[in-house]
Amino acid sequence: MMTFFLSPLPHLRAATALMVCTLAGLAPASAAWAAPYTATHASNRGNNGPSVTFSAEQVTHGAQIYAGACAMCHGADLEGGHDVPDLGNYFMARWANTPLDRLAGYITHAMPLMAPGTLPPQDTAALVAFVLHHNGVTATSNTPLPMEEARQAKIRIPAPQALAAAPASKP
Amino acid sequence: MKRRDLFAASLAAGIVGATRRGWASVPEASAALGRTALHGTIPRLVPIRAHADQITDIKVCLRPFRPAGPRLEVEHVAGKTVVHNYGHGGSGWSLSWGSAHMAVGHAAATLERKVAVIGCGIIGLTSALTAQRAGFDVTIYTRDLLPHTRSVRANGSWTPDSRIALTQQAGPGFAKTWEQMARYSWQTYRDYLGLPGNPIDFRDNYTLSDTPLDAADHAPEQVDPAKGSFATTGAPQNSAEFAIYASQISDIIPAAELLAGADNPFPVAYARRTPLMIYNFGAYGHLLLSEFYQAGGRIVIREFHSPSDLADLPERVVINCPGYAARDLWNDKSLIPVRGQTSWLPPQPDALYAVEYRGAAMISKSDGVMIQGYDMNGLGEMDGVGNSFEHPDRAEAEKAIAIIGDLFARFQPRNG
Ligand SMILES: Cc1cc2nc3c(=O)[nH]c(=O)nc-3n(C[C@H](O)[C@H](O)[C@H](O)COP(=O)(O)OP(=O)(O)OC[C@H]3O[C@@H](n4cnc5c(N)ncnc54)[C@H](O)[C@@H]3O)c2cc1C
Repeated sequence: MMTFFLSPLPHLRAATALMVCTLAGLAPASAAWAAPYTATHASNRGNNGPSVTFSAEQVTHGAQIYAGACAMCHGADLEGGHDVPDLGNYFMARWANTPLDRLAGYITHAMPLMAPGTLPPQDTAALVAFVLHHNGVTATSNTPLPMEEARQAKIRIPAPQALAAAPASKP
Repeated sequence: MKRRDLFAASLAAGIVGATRRGWASVPEASAALGRTALHGTIPRLVPIRAHADQITDIKVCLRPFRPAGPRLEVEHVAGKTVVHNYGHGGSGWSLSWGSAHMAVGHAAATLERKVAVIGCGIIGLTSALTAQRAGFDVTIYTRDLLPHTRSVRANGSWTPDSRIALTQQAGPGFAKTWEQMARYSWQTYRDYLGLPGNPIDFRDNYTLSDTPLDAADHAPEQVDPAKGSFATTGAPQNSAEFAIYASQISDIIPAAELLAGADNPFPVAYARRTPLMIYNFGAYGHLLLSEFYQAGGRIVIREFHSPSDLADLPERVVINCPGYAARDLWNDKSLIPVRGQTSWLPPQPDALYAVEYRGAAMISKSDGVMIQGYDMNGLGEMDGVGNSFEHPDRAEAEKAIAIIGDLFARFQPRNG
């Protein structure tokens, strides 16, 4: 069995397809070794301010933008690499409790690295929704994540709540 | 024969073409496998002095093999968030940094500042260092320090997909995880190359055979249907069940090259050379431990008898790296022992290379000449599977040393 290194595109398409199927409520099968550690962001309230909302459409759109503009460096699974920051666990730890406008602003000004400033606000908001969703953050409603900086500033990125009791996984 | 060799062959072939590609058929692969080592690049090799009366040590180890691959889940036990990081089969050294990166990611998501690491084998040590680099205050709790762990009873070379999982039980998702781990580890190891004492180094590894290597590569894996499989018996039954992922990272791992007849210094008909990353346990272990202490790490010698013992640790997050011991400590009966043994002869700093011949491997390292009979009975990946006899077998050691000894008894050192 050989792996072909022709183009990263098939991976990206696969990632998008996976996202769509997750949104449709079809949980992808996952093997025991990698039970996704997501049930930890359950509470997305309690840090003084409105809770995060984003729409399923934003997540889907964000996945497309991600595949085209971000996955090349950050990886099809947002895993990053030795020299590239991940957008998973470490990312959430770095950004937890930060106002959302900082993240959106950073993406707008600095990303993608090879063409900063090229993402319109709706794409940036969609990307943020996609990344939060990928990290197990659940939206409290289907209201889209706002694009305006002033409204984003009132929302804080939820902290992962790994210390909360979660069902024990058996080997 | 070993499919691993097929990949080594295909990797060599991959270098030739401008783009990376897979081979549609075995004949196509063998036709393309033509890159020979540049004439004059085989240095004059000093013979290895391999004889059983030179044995300084025989070490036995159980590879912590899990059919589904290593356990990297998060579990809540005894009031703690426990991140598991164990079950790396025959690939623990190779995958350590990548696996640690994933485990520490789970710990980071807790936003805690302190973390406890259980175990000081190669998985525990690299997890502890990775946690420090991520900003944690780290305490290692362990029964033994590295020199007494199973880790230092390994062969100690880059073998990232050696008995790491069963293809079917691990599933395609693990192939991706494996690739992330392997790439991350490989890149981290580069930071330890070229240092005083050579904690991490490369050796030219000569794969030798009396029969065409190419034919051996492409012989189909022997599968005896009467034996069943893991799915039907609960234990692996055939080499072919073991996952092979090496081709996924062929873009960064040096390929093999054939030694043309005139360049082949060995008394065998067929030879190829592959640069192999190796771990000098002494230098590397000391370096990791000093790095850990320099960054403010603490070590507490302690044995846990049950997961409930974690309750009285001051840390709320625990990275659990007990290796094979998880079978009892965490009652993880999916761990299957895979026995392996290495013999150690005095260091030969004048002969720094490696050979593989008739199921025995020799690596000349800074802390000794390591000889391992990894497949002397034609069992392939099944060698040692299910065997938990963790006691030296002198006869096995002598047999492996004799293979290497016999090779060099016929060796004619050449001039220039
Ligand atoms: C013959 C052989 C050759 C190998 N060759 C290679 C190779 O070339 N390349 C490669 O990458 N891999 C190789 N491996 C595999 C590699 O050695 C293992 O995957 C690796 O050592 C596992 O490391 P570990 O830290 O998980 O476990 P261990 O080294 O077993 O460490 C476990 C730690 O946990 C501690 N501990 C255990 N129980 C308790 C308890 N109850 N309380 C407190 N502490 C506890 C121990 O004291 C120890 O410190 C080989 C293995 C064998 C057997």
